[in-house]
Amino acid sequence: MSDKDTFNATLAAATCALLGSAVATPVVAQEEASRWSFDSTLLYYGESDDRVQDVSAAVSAVRDFGDERKLSATLTADTLTGASPSGAIALDRPQTFTSPSGRAVYTTNAGEVPLDDTFHDTRFALSTSWTQPLARLYTFSAGLGFSTEYDYTHLGANLSLARDFNKRNTTVNAGVAWSQDDSNPVGGRPVPLSQMLDVGNNSNKRDGSESKDVLDLLLGFTQVLNRTTVLRVNYSYSDSSGYLNDPYKVLSVVDPLTGDTLTRVPVGQGPDGVYVFESRPDTRTKQSLYAEVKHAFGKPVLHFSYRYMTDDWGIDSHTGEIRLRWPLGEGYIEPQLRYYTQSAADFYRASLVGGAALPRYASADFRLGEFDATTVGIKYGHDTASGNEWSIRAEYYQQSGSVPQQQIIGNQAGRQQYPDLSALIVQFGYRFKL
Amino acid sequence: MKKTSLCLVLLALSGCAGVQPWERDVLARPEMSLDTAPLDAAIDDHIYFSKEASSGGRGFGGGGCGCN
Repeated sequence: MSDKDTFNATLAAATCALLGSAVATPVVAQEEASRWSFDSTLLYYGESDDRVQDVSAAVSAVRDFGDERKLSATLTADTLTGASPSGAIALDRPQTFTSPSGRAVYTTNAGEVPLDDTFHDTRFALSTSWTQPLARLYTFSAGLGFSTEYDYTHLGANLSLARDFNKRNTTVNAGVAWSQDDSNPVGGRPVPLSQMLDVGNNSNKRDGSESKDVLDLLLGFTQVLNRTTVLRVNYSYSDSSGYLNDPYKVLSVVDPLTGDTLTRVPVGQGPDGVYVFESRPDTRTKQSLYAEVKHAFGKPVLHFSYRYMTDDWGIDSHTGEIRLRWPLGEGYIEPQLRYYTQSAADFYRASLVGGAALPRYASADFRLGEFDATTVGIKYGHDTASGNEWSIRAEYYQQSGSVPQQQIIGNQAGRQQYPDLSALIVQFGYRFKL
Repeated sequence: MKKTSLCLVLLALSGCAGVQPWERDVLARPEMSLDTAPLDAAIDDHIYFSKEASSGGRGFGGGGCGCN
């Protein structure tokens, strides 16, 4: 240690000692006064064209036990309704499908990308975590999570440990999370690549639930770069195994020349075309590298983040986000911009060709296709006289995708192949202390 | 030896690591925390998890939802 370092350390110790003795009583009083802090939010999420609509409420409570020991819990309730693309392609004729329950049919107009409008769900989620110092410079945290919806339950646990270095200018942390999700779809689990059958015929559906296990590992590094800038870099590894299909997604089986869906004649009520249920691999390994920087330019604060993700399904994605928090009166205004782009999974198929051998894996889920998405948003936060904060945030999300040219067959070229998506998100927030 | 190497690497990564405890006035502001708005972040992660093929990065991957 150099003389300068020794001097600085001595000065730091002296400063802490002086501050400590001078302000000890008020600090204790303040901690006593605000042990509980709450963050609450009410969210509306609405997609265009009567697709998914979601109203969601969340409350997060943190109890401060002093000495950097904290217990937090977040409770969320979601109600979803609306329609979601089934994976089938648009045609010049109306199309009829059996609903996932196997008890009714729904139809799609000519020229429209088929949407399954039987989609509605209510979801409750609870997550809790405990954080405490383990020794000087070490922070430990452990959490549990649970969520339930009509056809799905999730149970997860996580642990992480952080170590400060460099006069707490550097923090290295490592974490592990494990979860088990159980899927028990409405109408049963369809056998992958089996045909959609008539109403009342559930011979290709399996009862009971299937599970998915996810193991996540995270290695993080946080660095104070200077008095006004902080950097965080995370590497994450995620391994999923088990039931990874979306039980409600199908693919159209088409004529090799015209590209139109092959027709079938239902017995009673049922689909008037040939559709098969998707088939995804039962393992997926994802890796991501995430970096974020926060920098204060006087009062305003700029936040930038970037994430690269790659997985063994062939999907690569890039995500960039920027936020600028600008003081305004008793609060702040924060414009936000996010850009996302992903490549398609290797087994993404807009449709399957009739008569050809079926691939082992195939999905027409647009979320596994190639697309870009942009989010533009703005948040206004206002500090109240009592030290609480209320906020309003509005965001507009837009996705625009494409089907690879070599996958477009015959008449498909003149039709809408990829349903673009736009959504409006409005969120109210209120933070307070007790 | 190992410990020394680790310290050297950390020192190199941290530049000069010159920010002293009494120079943390700006970094101590609540808006300079990397987790300023955890509920906003959780909501965003949940929406993007249900609409895109990627998740996680900032923390553990999204999940606990049959939406993907």
